[in-house]
Amino acid sequence: MRVILKTRPRKKPHVPIEAEGIIPQNFLRKNDLTVYEGNRERNLEDLFFVTVEGPAVSPDQVEIILTGDTGRIKRVGEYMNAGRIIIEGDIGMHCGNFMSAGEIIIRGNADAWLGREMRGGRILCEGTAGDYCGAGYRGEKRGMRGGTIEVMGNAGDFVAEYLSGGEVIIHGNCGDLPGVEMRGGTLVIGGNCSRPCGNMTGGTCMVIGDPGELLPSFRRNGSTEVEFGGKKFRMAVFRGDVANRGKGTLLVKEEAIISRSGRDERL
Amino acid sequence: MRIEDVVCPFCGCLCDDLVVSVEGTKVLSVENGCTLATEKFTGDHRLAHPIRRTGGAWEKTTYDDAIRETAEILLDAERPLLYGWSGTFVEAQTLGVHMAELLGAVIDNTSTVCHGPSIMAIQEVGHPGCTLGQVKNRADVIVYWGANPIEAHPRHMSRYTTFTDGFFVKSAFRERKVIVVDIRETDSSEIADEFVKVTPGGDYAVLTALRMIVRGKGDLVPATVSGVTREQLFRVAEICLSARFGAIFFGLGLTMSRGKSKNIRNAIELTEELNRHTKFTISPMRGHWNVYGSNEVFTWITGYPYAVDFSRGIAFYNPGETTSVDLLRRKECDACLVVASDPGAHFPRACAEHLASIPTVQIDPHVNATTHLSRIQIPVAVTGIDAEGTAYRMDGVPIRTRKLFSTGYPDDVAVLGRVYSLVKEAKG
Repeated sequence: MRVILKTRPRKKPHVPIEAEGIIPQNFLRKNDLTVYEGNRERNLEDLFFVTVEGPAVSPDQVEIILTGDTGRIKRVGEYMNAGRIIIEGDIGMHCGNFMSAGEIIIRGNADAWLGREMRGGRILCEGTAGDYCGAGYRGEKRGMRGGTIEVMGNAGDFVAEYLSGGEVIIHGNCGDLPGVEMRGGTLVIGGNCSRPCGNMTGGTCMVIGDPGELLPSFRRNGSTEVEFGGKKFRMAVFRGDVANRGKGTLLVKEEAIISRSGRDERL
Repeated sequence: MRIEDVVCPFCGCLCDDLVVSVEGTKVLSVENGCTLATEKFTGDHRLAHPIRRTGGAWEKTTYDDAIRETAEILLDAERPLLYGWSGTFVEAQTLGVHMAELLGAVIDNTSTVCHGPSIMAIQEVGHPGCTLGQVKNRADVIVYWGANPIEAHPRHMSRYTTFTDGFFVKSAFRERKVIVVDIRETDSSEIADEFVKVTPGGDYAVLTALRMIVRGKGDLVPATVSGVTREQLFRVAEICLSARFGAIFFGLGLTMSRGKSKNIRNAIELTEELNRHTKFTISPMRGHWNVYGSNEVFTWITGYPYAVDFSRGIAFYNPGETTSVDLLRRKECDACLVVASDPGAHFPRACAEHLASIPTVQIDPHVNATTHLSRIQIPVAVTGIDAEGTAYRMDGVPIRTRKLFSTGYPDDVAVLGRVYSLVKEAKG
């Protein structure tokens, strides 16, 4: 089954839409889905042109396609456990919150909290992602716990905060403090970032570009070779964050370390 | 007439020992207060009556019309924002939160551009704090981090720390050590025993280095961390470790610089680490006199301290999503009620521009920068001068402010109560 949701023009296009109902299992049979536009509850049909093609007997046969002005729609794919959602443009905050299986493909950019506290499945963002990609909710002790998030562009600050499992791959640059409070899982940053892995206690983070300034609380622990994007890199291995009795692993490109060694006596 | 034990409604210190001389409705003099207090009590630029913008000009309007139009604007909006609250008393704040729930609005207070990150950090790792009385009577090491009390909280040092003797600190001048951490020399750093100059945005790394030293991992600390030498870091750690009772006070230099809530979290974790060796506490230097009260009120009604979104009928909180600056920057709001604060002066330009483009109503005694962005302004009495009400000091102690004289202005509760009644009537 293919469900196409095309946004209708709105009088106040900046007011956010909260649409946690847009998940494959909700389209198996005809039901009256509602979404919120600001503080008003609306029928799905009031905000979208809905087209349904073909049948489906289980949620994994459902594919939802979102098109139009979708950058302000929040919580799409929240708690999704099967099927596929394809977003032709940008998507709002909290896309794929708590998802446990299935796939979300975003052709444009994703706003903050992409894949918040995700448990499984896969998210591919072809554009850039906002802050707190793969992170947890405020005060939550665990962020993403399983599955994969891959972002082809850049991502914002605090990427993979409290990462506890699964894999976050950012091909571009990250902002400040990626992998902060990380406790498990894998974070791969293809580009540059600053202050990676503050206060980490576990997991592995790999920075292929310039890691910016490194925090003083990482202990050098040999080197290793890794492969990323079909190329091999010689990486310096650090263990930390020792300020937090951390046993995490931070891999930083050896060349990036050598070019900075004038400033850092540990190297 | 001389009135004693007057509470100052300016900063979070909420000094309660002022002596104010008044004649009729005029303040003649203020004793004991700092310059800021004197200015607050004697300043007199009050708006005489409600005003309303028509075309390009202001016209005089009545309280009845202004209140009715305010209720209509809020009821009509799909994403109204009720912002401010830190410059009024808790009874008015309570009304605000109940009104936000009825309207399905977002309600936010000035912590959002101030100590909001501190609260986020406290939600992650807790708050080893204490009252200012404990600091006054016990603390022999005081740390001001990213704060300049001499200019921002002028009586903090003379009432609670450096310049006042306490029960267990008989001679403050000799016994109390003061450490100031900042990115530049200030009036406060000049009287410090140890001034730590950090490169801007480098606080997180300095806090991490101090945690390492206290934990016994000092061998890993490089020669300099964010502009601070290894020797000084060890010296500072030694002063803290040899304290009988230490108190860290931090300001916006820590909350609003790079790293934000993570800086505070790191500072709290340093405090926890020091508590394995001696007694240490940490407290924010709150700005507005009743900003702590707004956090208290919001929390006891909704469970969240600021940035509470009622659009789905239940309280939702997520700084970065439901905070005023983010809402306005993304142009989400279609109406705004500003109570007892001045976002026009403090918010980024893009936010002020959006406030000007939507119907914004201000409830405030004075003409300020937000007036120029508003459609309607309703003047009210100034709490602590011609109205009374409860406020919370920066350490969470509630203090009732006093009314010195009557002017005939309604207070915030009177005005908000009438808006609330109209909203309640419409919502059924």
